[in-house]
Amino acid sequence: MLAQVLVSSVTAGAVYALIALGFVLIHKGTGVVHFGYGDQVTFGAYLVLIAQMAVTGLPFWPAVFIALVVSALLGALIYGGFMWPLRNASLLAKIIASLALGTVLREFVRAFMGPNAWPFPFLLSQTAVPVGGVLVVPANLAIVGVSLGILAILFLLFEKTLFGKAIMAACDNRIGASLIGVRVSHVFLLIWVVASVLATVAGVLVAPLLTLSPDMGLIGIKGFTAAVLGGFNSLPGAVLGGILLGILEALVGTYISSALKDMISYGILIAVILIRPQGLLGGLLVKKV
Amino acid sequence: MPLRPLLFAAAILAFFAAPQLLPEFYLFQICLIAGTALAVLGLVVVTGLAGQISLAQSAFVALGGYGASILAASWGVPLWAGIPVVAVVVAGLGFLLGQMTLRVAGHYLALATLAVTAIVQLALIHWEALTGGAAGMAVPPFEIMGRALTSGRELYYVIVPVTALFILTAQNLIASRFGRALTAIRQSETAAEAMGLDVLRYKAAAFAASAFLGAVAGGLLAPLSTYLDPAQYGITYAIYFLAIAVVGGMTSPTGAVIGSAVFVLLPNYLQAFQSYLGLVFALLLLGFIVLRPNGLSSLPWLRQAGALLHRTTGPKP
Amino acid sequence: MTEALLRIENVSVRFGGLVALDSVTLEVAPGSIQAVIGPNGAGKSTLLNVITGLYTASGGSILFRGERIDGRTPHAITRRGIARTFQNTELFGEMTALENVMISLDRFYAYGGVTAAWQGRHYRQIETSARDEARELLALVGLAGDENEAAATLPFGKQRRLEIARALATRPGLLLLDEPAAGLRAAEIDALNRILLDLRAQRQISILVIDHVMPLVMAISDRIAVLNFGRKIAEGTPDAVRRSPDVIAAYLGEKAAHAVGS
Repeated sequence: MLAQVLVSSVTAGAVYALIALGFVLIHKGTGVVHFGYGDQVTFGAYLVLIAQMAVTGLPFWPAVFIALVVSALLGALIYGGFMWPLRNASLLAKIIASLALGTVLREFVRAFMGPNAWPFPFLLSQTAVPVGGVLVVPANLAIVGVSLGILAILFLLFEKTLFGKAIMAACDNRIGASLIGVRVSHVFLLIWVVASVLATVAGVLVAPLLTLSPDMGLIGIKGFTAAVLGGFNSLPGAVLGGILLGILEALVGTYISSALKDMISYGILIAVILIRPQGLLGGLLVKKV
Repeated sequence: MPLRPLLFAAAILAFFAAPQLLPEFYLFQICLIAGTALAVLGLVVVTGLAGQISLAQSAFVALGGYGASILAASWGVPLWAGIPVVAVVVAGLGFLLGQMTLRVAGHYLALATLAVTAIVQLALIHWEALTGGAAGMAVPPFEIMGRALTSGRELYYVIVPVTALFILTAQNLIASRFGRALTAIRQSETAAEAMGLDVLRYKAAAFAASAFLGAVAGGLLAPLSTYLDPAQYGITYAIYFLAIAVVGGMTSPTGAVIGSAVFVLLPNYLQAFQSYLGLVFALLLLGFIVLRPNGLSSLPWLRQAGALLHRTTGPKP
Repeated sequence: MTEALLRIENVSVRFGGLVALDSVTLEVAPGSIQAVIGPNGAGKSTLLNVITGLYTASGGSILFRGERIDGRTPHAITRRGIARTFQNTELFGEMTALENVMISLDRFYAYGGVTAAWQGRHYRQIETSARDEARELLALVGLAGDENEAAATLPFGKQRRLEIARALATRPGLLLLDEPAAGLRAAEIDALNRILLDLRAQRQISILVIDHVMPLVMAISDRIAVLNFGRKIAEGTPDAVRRSPDVIAAYLGEKAAHAVGS
């Protein structure tokens, strides 16, 4: 029983991890916490449906490809249209702008695709296969695999390549980075494009599992919790935080009360923010005067 | 200066004339604008002035509405007595929440207050015995001196004066040392603290004030809507208040009224586009924060009008 | 010997593995102007931040007028009589010069919420007196004509002086100045020197100034302490410090020290 709970919970955990990775990528790369990211995930899944409605008879995979391209453009639009003009604005304005972006995307799909849920195809079989005494669902495994794969790519990119170091330099010190020849605006643009594509990948994977409706983006808070739990600047922390949150929720849901499940994750969010704001794997922050 | 008593007299006249001249629909909407403005006024204090982002306003409004309604339904406490009592308790909660700002600011504060709203909403849904659960609960009528106020026309006489009182009080407090201190804290907490201000206490007090105003607003809006639905009091509602504050002008009490009027009245003119309403509001928020972050109340002609008023009512420079 | 106004005893500050201050001991005598100099990264600003409670000391103690102040909140320390300016200026940019000073006067002209809401005669009296004192302080630092300018729009030299007026408004016994001369022209530094000497003479304010601009420090300091890599390497009168080989080495490198010493 416990083994089965844990195996199933890893799927939910991987969903959280996938979204948390996007948050961390944007935050690590551009210094912005994107409160609309959960809605971008939802919007990505809707893009696939919209592509299929626009071109009758378009098969699933080409539709996904179109969705990925459109979301890349969306990422560029978000940066060029909003984050760049607001680069010198107060933190408060940036937070509100990112909340507003998410709300615009959510209300866009509500207005044009309706408030109700849409069916969304699974990428792999959802028939459970027994592996070593517990049941494993291939469709769920895909999510876990993709999360870890993306983590591996991002981790290598950030920690092992010159390009990744250039990104970190751009984020830490804009003037310094431009002195050594890093075009900060190009780096930020790229981050937004990559993170937006990542959101659509997450949306396509997650939509069949959850219910695809305009409010699916509220899952973003779980992604936040995972990111905060792991440490907002740490990519491995995002995955660790996601998996931990998934397991914790499954345990509380199974053994205590399913009604308390969500309340507990929000409680964890507050507790971590208060007690250990740098998260499990984050570095120490020193305020400079 | 005869302008000040003149304006005051005109306002009193307009207040008593409106119910004679306007139909119930508009009076109801005026009540809705006033109640919403009161909740937004809380955000003006904590976010606009003190610079502490709060997504908990939705939770405070919910606690005010549910608290007063439960007191009335279960213990027979009339709303006129229950609302202030609940508001004081919620203000205490706000003060405690404000203590968080010792350790938390910016993104993390936004997240933490977001979590508070989510927790309160879940509690309203799951604590069925008290709140009626996901189905919601009916609000007992607002009774005063043996008379039940049920329509917008009747509640008008309660909601509008209460809101006016708080708006005027807030304006005076903002012009005083309290507004000055919060403004300083918004611009540099480090410097404010180094100049001897107890920054944490001010921030916690700002949260308490926003909670108090939110709870009073919730308590007054409850009998107006006659029914409480927990689905309403989520994150979307918190962003709705934030949007009104931004569009009206984050640091201005009159901005709270202007913004509320825009958001309450706009749907009347968009009857044909009912399903696009959410999108219109979201685009308004996005457009204002990028293009005019100081909101409508910063428009030159409105600022001049405001300055004119202030010169006659405010302290001499 | 009279008791020190400020006594810093074996104070250390660590950030993770980094030691920013290593067991520093320093005194400010009443009525004196004490300077702390050192190359960039020597721990000067850290010293100021730990005295004013912005950083927590990992070890040692800080006494002001004989009372422990380490571990107290910054505003509590300010209220005991230690005021400061900031190196990169931390003014309330959107507020006027006058309002900036009035923030520091807040607790001397306090009134309650009801008074503020009513805005009657009592309120106007208190506000007027607060304004008057703020105006005097602005005049003292030569900003008499700039009362209603937004702090952020003032030229840099004036922002520096506004920082001093704002610090003085907390009515301090000890004024801490964080590189007050950085970015100022020679004439402005002379004016600053005169202001600081007047403050000591007329208001009995002691001053602890951190700087690496020698003309300011040399001209007005009674004693100078030198920090390098978080440690105090020398202390004495300006002349003695100027001749110390350790100090020359810290600033110019070992070779120069040998050249001067030989």
